[in-house]
Amino acid sequence: MASRADFNAVGKNQPRLDGFAKLSGRSEFADDIHLPGMLRGRIVRAQISHGRILNIDTSAAARVPGVKAIVTVDDKPNPIIGMYQPLLNRTVRFIGQEIAAVAATDDDAAFEAAALIRVEYEPLPAVLDLEKALLPDAPQLHAKGAGNLAWEANEVFDDPDAMFAESDLIVSGAYSSNPSHNCYAEFHVCVADFSRADKLTVWSPTQTAVLFQKSLATAFGLTEGNVRMMTLNTGGAFTGRGMARPHHFIAALLSRKARRPVKLRSYSDEEFLMGRAGGRALYRFRTGVMRDGRLRALEADLLIDAGAYIETQMLFPRITAPFFHLLYKVDAIRYRARLAYTNNLPYEWHHGGGIAQMHFGWGQHLNQVAMDLGMDPVEFHLKNAVEKGHVTRKGATFASCGLKKCIEKAAKRAGWKRKYGKLPPNKGIGIAIGAMASGGKGMYKHDTSAAFLKVAEDGTVSLLTGIPDMGQGSHTTMAIIAAEVLGIEPTDITIIAGDTDVTPFDLGAFAQRGTFTTGNAVKAAAEDARSQLMKVAAGRFDCKPGRLVFRARQVYPKGQPERAIPFKQLVYDTLHSREGRAVMGRGFYNSPKEAGSMAYSFGAQIAEVTVDPETGFVRVDRMIVAHDLGRAINPRVVEGQIDGQVFSGMSQVLYEEVLMDDGQPLNPSRLEYKLPRAFEVPVVEHILVETNDPFGPFGAKEVGEGPIVCTVPAIANAVAMAVGEQIREMPISPWRVLRAVSRQQDPADDDES
Amino acid sequence: MSPKQIIHLTVNGDHHDIAVGPTETLNQVIRDGLRLTGTKRGCTSGSCGVCTVNDERGRAILSCITLAVECDGRSITTVEGVERDGKLHPLQQAFLELGAVQCGVCTPGLIMSAMGLLNTNPNPDQRAIDEALAGAICRCTGHIKVKMAVAHAIQQIAASAGTETHGQPG
Repeated sequence: MASRADFNAVGKNQPRLDGFAKLSGRSEFADDIHLPGMLRGRIVRAQISHGRILNIDTSAAARVPGVKAIVTVDDKPNPIIGMYQPLLNRTVRFIGQEIAAVAATDDDAAFEAAALIRVEYEPLPAVLDLEKALLPDAPQLHAKGAGNLAWEANEVFDDPDAMFAESDLIVSGAYSSNPSHNCYAEFHVCVADFSRADKLTVWSPTQTAVLFQKSLATAFGLTEGNVRMMTLNTGGAFTGRGMARPHHFIAALLSRKARRPVKLRSYSDEEFLMGRAGGRALYRFRTGVMRDGRLRALEADLLIDAGAYIETQMLFPRITAPFFHLLYKVDAIRYRARLAYTNNLPYEWHHGGGIAQMHFGWGQHLNQVAMDLGMDPVEFHLKNAVEKGHVTRKGATFASCGLKKCIEKAAKRAGWKRKYGKLPPNKGIGIAIGAMASGGKGMYKHDTSAAFLKVAEDGTVSLLTGIPDMGQGSHTTMAIIAAEVLGIEPTDITIIAGDTDVTPFDLGAFAQRGTFTTGNAVKAAAEDARSQLMKVAAGRFDCKPGRLVFRARQVYPKGQPERAIPFKQLVYDTLHSREGRAVMGRGFYNSPKEAGSMAYSFGAQIAEVTVDPETGFVRVDRMIVAHDLGRAINPRVVEGQIDGQVFSGMSQVLYEEVLMDDGQPLNPSRLEYKLPRAFEVPVVEHILVETNDPFGPFGAKEVGEGPIVCTVPAIANAVAMAVGEQIREMPISPWRVLRAVSRQQDPADDDES
Repeated sequence: MSPKQIIHLTVNGDHHDIAVGPTETLNQVIRDGLRLTGTKRGCTSGSCGVCTVNDERGRAILSCITLAVECDGRSITTVEGVERDGKLHPLQQAFLELGAVQCGVCTPGLIMSAMGLLNTNPNPDQRAIDEALAGAICRCTGHIKVKMAVAHAIQQIAASAGTETHGQPG
């Protein structure tokens, strides 16, 4: 196996290439865009949960000086967003639904005019409790989706009933999670320039420029080439920026009508009405196990509040289903997931993509299984853990797998044996394990990323990529990969990204496909360029191209570094050869599998916590993160990815809850919706397990979302030990801890009903 | 429309005479008027920290909840005024090297919050660092490498000035 010393650029700590710009205030985000004649937009949002719009009166708004355009449901064409949500709909199905919008010369005029738009409603009974949405007497919210069942997925593998019957012990558990919000650093913003009828240009943070481009083109009857997505930088995404949303379409509608560019941007509480993250969800699990700890059968039943409309939530069942196959050697699996319509915000994705939230229950349930067996959870996980070469019942093959190594290394670092079950009162330690696909098919028949690379005469390189950098450092990662192939420095490479008029096709930065999929595309493009250089170099050195070494900005035949010529000399010679070849590399990568991924990452995390029995506050003292990421392309950036997920996982499991009252968020601000601040974060210890995946670029797999699925249940398991019982509803807020503490002190004092 | 008032404002050493309305904030003047977009606009209600700048005494202030009319005759520094001649300040350099930058939206506010600390407390301990950063939210880094970078920069600056510090801030 290649060690770090064998690499030219991979595995060295490369500061972000965009770091200087970001640190010195030069980095541009969509809200920093200012175009000549640009208007400011404001959306009018519904103030009832369910009802019909009888009348929209815009006359007073139209008289406000500076108002240039007003759009309502009467404006045609009226695009369909996602699957079923018509924009500016006549039926209101949630508080915050977009009803009309204004564009004016400044924010003050836009706000004033928006406030003057009068909407008359005929209210209808609303469905706000997930638990009641599927009851027979619940009001029907959509013509499609009988009984408010928006989506259902069922999977059965082997014979779970027979395996349950053969099990020595069956453990059941029910868990739930509550609505949440991503709290992106960059608020929702869209600048649209549709002042020319044949060209729509949009600046907005996104995880996927091409999917935005496609949906905007479809909505407005344009070719994809006539929609130009400018991504610039994306100020955090966390799974929630994978699809064009109402404000993108509305900005374009306003711009088309006013024939001027429009900036539409959300403000504090509005961010909680237009942004969507996790919704309420109920998770039920049942597990059959033998006395010796061998798993025989798993059963999962999930019910998710999809909110008022389905946009991409139907992916939830498809995304969560594989996770019951990835960790353990068990064949009998029954899985059901249902999405229910309610009159809540059309909730979608939080950091962890529904998976981390589901693992709040799943990871605690597995811990319960181990405890009911009287087994140490570390032993239980090790006994059942998958290994390299394992093939799941859904067809995933683990060409590399460091799960057992992660468990063992984390347990050793934590001093698990010394601590588990032996900590003083109010202290807890907990472990959880997880797995994650590195990209893969699911949504489309392809999972393609492409890359293009041009080499200037002085040996510097421009790398064109469609992958957005939302903070995860993927542009720098791509530069490292190209530099590794060409034997140059990452700083020799300029990244050109964020403009669909220029950059090659790339599905985007979601499903943990960046490093693996785009990384493989970039590697292929760099290899293409290198092969062009090799032709000339092979002639010069009179050796086979395969014998050439590209390293440290030098090129030489293997074993003969004394004959080295500078990389830029070779580029110059290639251009000045008889062929006059300009070096341009192109490459793409698409998983050869029919479905799923070529590579899976694995992880184990151990949390140590202290619970204050007086306040119910949980302090996370230490997090040990072991993650099999195949290969760390840029180790410090990898650590940063892990840190961010530990923070976000801790935040979700202990702090974050959008408190809802009749469909209205009660805490819609960054003061009231609590996230941990700098003084509340734990020490994080990183154990990078490098298993060198045969399909990953230089062995790399994902590290962008795998860790968080372990963080959430690891902390929950540690709290359960500290408190003496599991807290089965997320977040584990102080009041839920206090309720558990008092129940432990006096079992009769059980107010949970 | 209420009448506008001319304010005299110095930003990163440059003098400006600017007509501002009574409800206009310092953040709007910096970003929309002077087009210095390094200072970000976030919650616009003082709870996320991305709009932080330094006042004439070097203190960190929130530009989104500071009215422009209050700034007449004052001098402020934005993130664009920290780097000199293409060379990053040791604090910025520490952020870069230790990986404390991710998406970059909160970064200018974090830099100006930490600069506020360095400007007003020559020898901060870990608690002071935590307090200086408490007004900022950084979802990407989870503040973990940010804290390390600030502590590292304090040590670097102290070492080059030959002063003692509170030892190794955690």
